[in-house]
Amino acid sequence: MPTEASSSPAAVWAILRKECRSEWRTRYGLNAALLFAVTSLTSVSFAVGRLGDRPDVLAALLWVVLLFAALASLSHTFVREVEGRTMTLLRLVASPTAIATGKLLFNLLFLAVIELVTVPLFLILMGAPTPSWGPFLGVLVLGSLALGTGATLVGAIIAQTRGRAALFAGVSFPILLPVVAAAVSATRAQWSGGSVAVELRLLAAYGVALLAASLMLYDHLWED
Amino acid sequence: MILRGLLLLWIAAWIVAAFLWAPLVPVLGPTTRVLYFHIPSAWVTVLALGWSMVHSVLYLRSRNLEHDHQAAAAAEIGLLFCVAATISGSLWAKAMWGAYWNWDPRETSIFFLLLVYGAYLALRSAIDQPERRARLSAVYSAIAFVSVPFLVFVVPRIYFTLHPDPLINTRGKIDMDPRIRVVFFALLAGFTALFFWVQSVRVRVARLERRAEER
Repeated sequence: MPTEASSSPAAVWAILRKECRSEWRTRYGLNAALLFAVTSLTSVSFAVGRLGDRPDVLAALLWVVLLFAALASLSHTFVREVEGRTMTLLRLVASPTAIATGKLLFNLLFLAVIELVTVPLFLILMGAPTPSWGPFLGVLVLGSLALGTGATLVGAIIAQTRGRAALFAGVSFPILLPVVAAAVSATRAQWSGGSVAVELRLLAAYGVALLAASLMLYDHLWED
Repeated sequence: MILRGLLLLWIAAWIVAAFLWAPLVPVLGPTTRVLYFHIPSAWVTVLALGWSMVHSVLYLRSRNLEHDHQAAAAAEIGLLFCVAATISGSLWAKAMWGAYWNWDPRETSIFFLLLVYGAYLALRSAIDQPERRARLSAVYSAIAFVSVPFLVFVVPRIYFTLHPDPLINTRGKIDMDPRIRVVFFALLAGFTALFFWVQSVRVRVARLERRAEER
């Protein structure tokens, strides 16, 4: 039974450390995700060539690549527990909220690593004009927070179903669509010199709403 | 039994009235009549989604499978009405705007609702154990509940709409013939009653299915 202590920040921190360590041991998830992100980026780049004069298209393509990368990798932390049959053990030592929060932090870290590789590569390969860094990074950070939060919750659900990988993309898409729509619109605006304040506020509000809903729902994820 | 017959008569009578009694609006011409079927379908789509989500949250609070039956039934029926609203809207768009599909904000939001319904039902079909299916699909429904209003705010910021204002068209209302209004609200009530009737039948079937499984 989860005790009061097991949902403390210490438990969340322990889960995060455990995730990082087991990921680092094999690096299977990270390698696969990076390879996937670079592959989708390359296919986009080959298909349309350099598009330095079309920042509106670039903004859409950037977020399509990031969305694909997220959809390919973020259910991994939960699926791994189910496939390795380690979920029951994990639940003995920590509360559902602590487990899910730890995994959420891990996923956000994971997404950040992928973006550190993908975004600079994207800007170089596509011949993108220099972004205005403040708004651009703001959109990336807030967009990734919302993307990661939504994908983590759906990943936890999907890990307990049949046909996990196939379902994950389709089922998380409706949740992530507002993020992508707002992020694309903001990325487009910063390239054309417009204001991104409204979109940033929208992304932040959506991220906070998803996070609040997630924290309320994590308790209901596992109960059998 | 009597109520069901009355509902049938009610809807049939107002469909006839929609074609023979209600006048046409000048600009819209014969496409005026889509109003009587498209908007009630769209309304039932939203109503069913709300009904499904409320019962999902109630399930998480009470763990009573009855709420899961309600949520699942409303999602199935809502999907049907969502398809009806999408197709009737698309046909109207072809007649008025010249293209079946244009990613107008209204088209985007109805398509989004289709995706939510589809994802919810796909998720349900992938879980065998009833309690787990109920619990996980309720969690999903609750998180989708957060995303639906956001899309409604985001999309109009990106595109402009050509869609006539739904329901509350304050300027249009004044010129609107009262006969149109009568037929419209009669069919709106008829569609709503139709939803609740089919819903009650579907829930009864789900209850029987569960009882048969338990035996």
